[in-house]
Amino acid sequence: MESKYNLKSPAVKRLMKEAAELREPTEHYHAQPLEDNLFEWHFSVRGPPDSDFDGGVYHGRIVLPPEYPMKPPSIILLTPNGRFEVGKKICLSISGHHPETWQPSWSIRTALIAIIGFMPTKGEGAIGSLDYTPEERRALAKKSQDFCCDACGCSMRSALMALTPNSNPGAEDRQAQELAQQISFKAESSSSRQASEGGAAESEASSAPVQEDAEQTEAAPPSGADGARTPGRPLSPRQRRAQQRGETAARGPASAPPPRPPGPPREQSQAGSAALIVLLTLALAALVFRRLYLANEYRFHYDL
Amino acid sequence: WTAKMAEEQQESSQGEMEGVNCLAYDEAIIAQQDRIQQEIANSNPLVSDRQDLSVLQREYSEEDTVYQLKIKDLYKKYSYIRKTRPDGNCFYRAFGFAHLESLLDDSKELQKFKAVAAKSKLDLVNEGFTEFTIEDFHNTFMDLIELCEKQPSLQELLSSFNDQNVSDYVVVYLRLLTSGYLQREHGFFQHFIEGGRSVKEFCQQEVEPMSKESDHIHIIALAQALNVSILVEYMDRGEGGTVNHHVFPEGGDPRIFLLYRPGHYDILYK
Repeated sequence: MESKYNLKSPAVKRLMKEAAELREPTEHYHAQPLEDNLFEWHFSVRGPPDSDFDGGVYHGRIVLPPEYPMKPPSIILLTPNGRFEVGKKICLSISGHHPETWQPSWSIRTALIAIIGFMPTKGEGAIGSLDYTPEERRALAKKSQDFCCDACGCSMRSALMALTPNSNPGAEDRQAQELAQQISFKAESSSSRQASEGGAAESEASSAPVQEDAEQTEAAPPSGADGARTPGRPLSPRQRRAQQRGETAARGPASAPPPRPPGPPREQSQAGSAALIVLLTLALAALVFRRLYLANEYRFHYDL
Repeated sequence: WTAKMAEEQQESSQGEMEGVNCLAYDEAIIAQQDRIQQEIANSNPLVSDRQDLSVLQREYSEEDTVYQLKIKDLYKKYSYIRKTRPDGNCFYRAFGFAHLESLLDDSKELQKFKAVAAKSKLDLVNEGFTEFTIEDFHNTFMDLIELCEKQPSLQELLSSFNDQNVSDYVVVYLRLLTSGYLQREHGFFQHFIEGGRSVKEFCQQEVEPMSKESDHIHIIALAQALNVSILVEYMDRGEGGTVNHHVFPEGGDPRIFLLYRPGHYDILYK
């Protein structure tokens, strides 16, 4: 009975199938398991055309939980791209805040297509997301072709089939966009990861634990390489915002700047953004008042 | 002026902190949900042994007249109950087990059911489901039907349904069948879907993901997809003292009986 239902590792069965299915690179994506670990894959995806990622080919890791496909894979980008943080685990959302969740009939291919579809969408301050400028993203797209992965020996120039002019990516693109609307990505912190691994530790203990150590070592090279290519850039959105603010402040009074309108609050936290709005409004009022005061100095004299 | 800017900057970095807290909060919720699920799993088998209906009486206090009256009403028709784990998949698990159990001593019906089940994968593939991602689930389902052909002991069927891997794969396949039928008949089902969603969106949000609870619409679709008639007894806080039932699809001759209490399904036996 137990031997008839030899499903001790349904994940292994499924992953072997997916590896066979994805063996040949396509024009848009390719993914294969590492030689020694069926539960860790490396992938390459082509940036969607008509976007800032056009011409880019991006590389990353996929970590499969032992409960796969009942639980979603985690995805880690290794190529700097300006949309997803490098080396940070993102997963197909299982957050209670989103009605969308992983479906066991989805596959690694689904995840890859979703990533492609997700690239042109707004990061909107989500953890693990980046909102680089189009220029920065286009520069990174160009550079992405130089990336070679130490772990799997993949070079981005040859990782995918060349795009042919008469190829019709229409259907694939539509599928990608459709998926991107349904799936949400979110950064995954170690606590939930441990919880989910602990929950089903009995199923197959063989290969999964290796993932955690491997991650530290591999995440390092790409960020280092990135630093070497463009010293001082790209900045994180936070750094950039701080820098912009600094610039505005510096030329402030001299060039009589138009008051900077408050940008849309990026954080979703209600209280935080409400406080921010009030504060920015006050700042604006103060600015306007100051301008009026300067311009009409002779009219009001307050004894303060 | 600069003080203002500094203040503003500080405020916005507080905003970012809020974002981080928000995520930590998310994680805390997920961790807590996991703990609750683990507790439920420890105290409830996926599918329990058959128990006397009197276990229901003991779940509610003597003073709870609404439920006590309704349980008395249930006694008129049923004698036993088999409970399922309240994990959001209970309808599919209750249905799957009850139906296969009812076919154990009816080989003619079993053969009919096997033919429907065997063909069902092709229907899904024709609808656009990816074959290699659904075939493991289908195979597990067919394996169980073939097990039933060998007329195993009830205990064997029960232990298959309590093997998390097997049991969850059956649930996934039943969810796929439900989703496939809803999408095939989307013209009809569209009218019953709230929130301006398409049938496809509904299926991807409320049917295919594990742990999403089932409503009338799911039951109708699965009953029709597999050509099986299901009777559900509804027991809730409503007045009247009697339990109402509903047969899916209407006018069918049900062989399986489920008890619905808000948010949960168990199996009933005469």
